Amino acid sequence: MMISKQEFLVRAQLERETLEAWIQEEWLIPGKSTGELTFSDADIARAQLIRDLRSDLGVNDEGVGVILNLVDQVHGLRRVLTEVLRSVRSRA
Amino acid sequence: MPLRIFFLAEAAVKDPYETLGVERGASPDDIQKAYRRLAKKLHPDLNPGNKKAEERFKEVSAAYGLLSDADKRAKFDRGEIDASGAEQPQQRFYKDFASEAAAGNPYENYSGFADFADSDNILSELLRRSAHVRARGADVRYHLPIEFLEAVTGETKRLTLPDGETLDVAIPAGIQNGQVLRLRGKGRPGIGDGEPGDALVEIAIKPHPFFAREGNDVHLDLPVTLSEAVLGARITVPTPTGAVTMTVPKGSNTGTVLRLRGKGILRRDGSHGDELVRLKVMLPERSDPELEAFATKWESGKAYDPRRDMKP
Repeated sequence: MMISKQEFLVRAQLERETLEAWIQEEWLIPGKSTGELTFSDADIARAQLIRDLRSDLGVNDEGVGVILNLVDQVHGLRRVLTEVLRSVRSRA
Repeated sequence: MPLRIFFLAEAAVKDPYETLGVERGASPDDIQKAYRRLAKKLHPDLNPGNKKAEERFKEVSAAYGLLSDADKRAKFDRGEIDASGAEQPQQRFYKDFASEAAAGNPYENYSGFADFADSDNILSELLRRSAHVRARGADVRYHLPIEFLEAVTGETKRLTLPDGETLDVAIPAGIQNGQVLRLRGKGRPGIGDGEPGDALVEIAIKPHPFFAREGNDVHLDLPVTLSEAVLGARITVPTPTGAVTMTVPKGSNTGTVLRLRGKGILRRDGSHGDELVRLKVMLPERSDPELEAFATKWESGKAYDPRRDMKP
């Protein structure tokens, strides 16, 4: 389910400038459809994570980028581990 | 059945102060600090595989939601509401989306394991079969020493890789020491339909016995005889691209620099650097009676003091 930038700003409770800065930093990578930015539910959850990091966990802007990168790597690893386990099971 | 009800009730009235590990009289600041300390440890997106951490985080968030609101906290302290009143709506965390293997997720990042996935046959085989996973292969670095003249003229060198494969490296004329050539797609194979990585070949230029290089100019110390220096001469000079004839002007000396235009190294714009020939006047290797006789009676030569500038 993709939503427009307008709807994303409302649902993620973000200012336009903040969103632009986050896209600039590649913390968020929206999709593009007929020239308009589109966002997913995953982007909303990711925006919430960024907000948690900055407000509740006291992480500064440099730290947010580092953490997101590591979080993305963890998910890459989890995905592969899932695939590997599935492969192993299907052979067993 | 009564047992289960008992458990639910117990969970609902869990004391928020206890959950956050603070005293009843804790200041808002202490409460925030306690919450942050726990959230750092328990945030579900920082513990994507830990269900317990997620449960604990929800309790901690609920407790914080209650105690960070002065109004709600006061009501709770007076016993007007219980902790269950602070239940938060179900939140979906980022991890819940990231684990749904949606194709084309722009945040996908396999750099945490791409190296061992390449080198481990079993793992790479398993990954190859899996339709979801695709990652670019790793880059591989090589170190390639080449001769000075090969760097000047360019050359194709064949690298033999540890697995016996060979890799032809086209070295462009004029390459610099330490320059890295990127051979696209010559690194490790990709995972899934991921593209292969690149081979990165770092060039080390070996020194030459008499040419030296500075940027795109070639420097050469060229020995000349006394008579060539004094009287002038046409002599043959080596350059990286073959010998050329050069005129030594009459009255040249050690340290005189002559420039051979365009005899240096190819620049990126297609032009060439120069060769700079520094003359070095050499006396005959064995003493020469004729020269000794001349030097003995050479009065004006004795008046010349080449060390005059060094006098204290």
